[in-house]
Amino acid sequence: MNQPSDETLALERLLTRTGRGDARAFAELYERLSPRLFGVCLRMLRDRNEAEDVLQEVFVTVWRRARDFDPARAAATTWLVTLARNKAIDRLRQRRPGAPLEAVDFDRLADEGRGPPAHAEASQEYARLRRCLETLDPEDQGSLREAFFTGATYKELAERGQVPLGTMKSRIRRALAQLRTCLET
Amino acid sequence: MSTPSDEGSPDPRYAEYVLGVLDADGRAQVEREMAASESAAAAVEQWRRRLLPLTAEIAPQAPPAHLWQRIRGELQLEEAGRARAPAAPSGFTQSLRFWHRLTLATGALLAAACVAIAFLLVRRPAAPAIPYMASTITESGGRVGWTATMDIAQSSMIVVPAAPEGVGSGRSPELWLIPHGGKPIAVGVISANAPMTIHLPPALLARLGPTAVLAVSVEPLGGSPTGQPTGPVIGQGAIGAAASGGATGSATAMILFHPGPARA
Repeated sequence: MNQPSDETLALERLLTRTGRGDARAFAELYERLSPRLFGVCLRMLRDRNEAEDVLQEVFVTVWRRARDFDPARAAATTWLVTLARNKAIDRLRQRRPGAPLEAVDFDRLADEGRGPPAHAEASQEYARLRRCLETLDPEDQGSLREAFFTGATYKELAERGQVPLGTMKSRIRRALAQLRTCLET
Repeated sequence: MSTPSDEGSPDPRYAEYVLGVLDADGRAQVEREMAASESAAAAVEQWRRRLLPLTAEIAPQAPPAHLWQRIRGELQLEEAGRARAPAAPSGFTQSLRFWHRLTLATGALLAAACVAIAFLLVRRPAAPAIPYMASTITESGGRVGWTATMDIAQSSMIVVPAAPEGVGSGRSPELWLIPHGGKPIAVGVISANAPMTIHLPPALLARLGPTAVLAVSVEPLGGSPTGQPTGPVIGQGAIGAAASGGATGSATAMILFHPGPARA
């Protein structure tokens, strides 16, 4: 089990203090995490106005629910990134069904993230995950990445990939199972 | 109902929930199970630990300056512990030079290093505009504070710090564009120790030019609460024409430090 990093511990303290109503800790949390969480929202929503709205919702929720944060259950970054992802995906699910798929540049989407991690705090966990992802069939890895970063439903992924729904489900489930095995080795 | 076991043929829905592929109903179902069952919650948490490190590949992006104000407004927060900023008489931000003189005169408020941002813009009438601009901020001994590269076609600027001085703990460095004779326009909160990608909206792109300047001020955490600079300027830079860079047409910006006045 990895020891929590200094940054993780610092964020834990800030989140705990925020839960006690410490506005200065909240401001520091925003200072440190908002660019990363905004990046997550932008990547998923592909719309600046929506990403701003969601980021605002995220931090309003952080203020109101920080007292529920339990460092024994989850790391502070996991808690915060999960909040951002969940709110972004909820927003995606609210978009009108049947609306034409946005004109996303899928080639650029595929290239995004194939390089080295974007910030210095990338962890041992990331390195292990990256190594395990590389052991997957390239198509499986691609679909898994697309799913993770875009928050698309199975149906949307199948449509974009022009494969039957069942094929996409098998592909993703196989990739997840292989990933789990690799990470537990 | 399948048990949320992680052995044998495990229920894929917990992994799928974390990955994000379930539809709204599927998500709501998993969330109900997490609330009702400790083992469901633990299974989801396990998948989060496995998958969420992938977000390290997403480049951080500075949110717009006004967003923090919206959040504080919605929560009706007074920023606890915020130091009182120097009073700014109305209208005095019209000229950066006047403003800079004011902060120099108050000496003690100015950080040891003064950051100048040289912003290089090249326009050739017969050719399309250079797609990349850059700004290098270097000390007058050659020490670099920040480098900034602008990709005009992508409307984005990346600001990379190299150990700049003058930003204390509990403060945020904020970047401003100041058109000639105009009020500073917030570009965004930058960082003294991490790269920052900043979106350049059309209104800002339109004001870039040789008569405008860039400046960095020291603000409360999260940036100025007023939408105008409230803290001391620790750097400024002119925008001028320069020879373009290499074959790609990109130019690099140098952020220049000038030794500031002696500390009080």
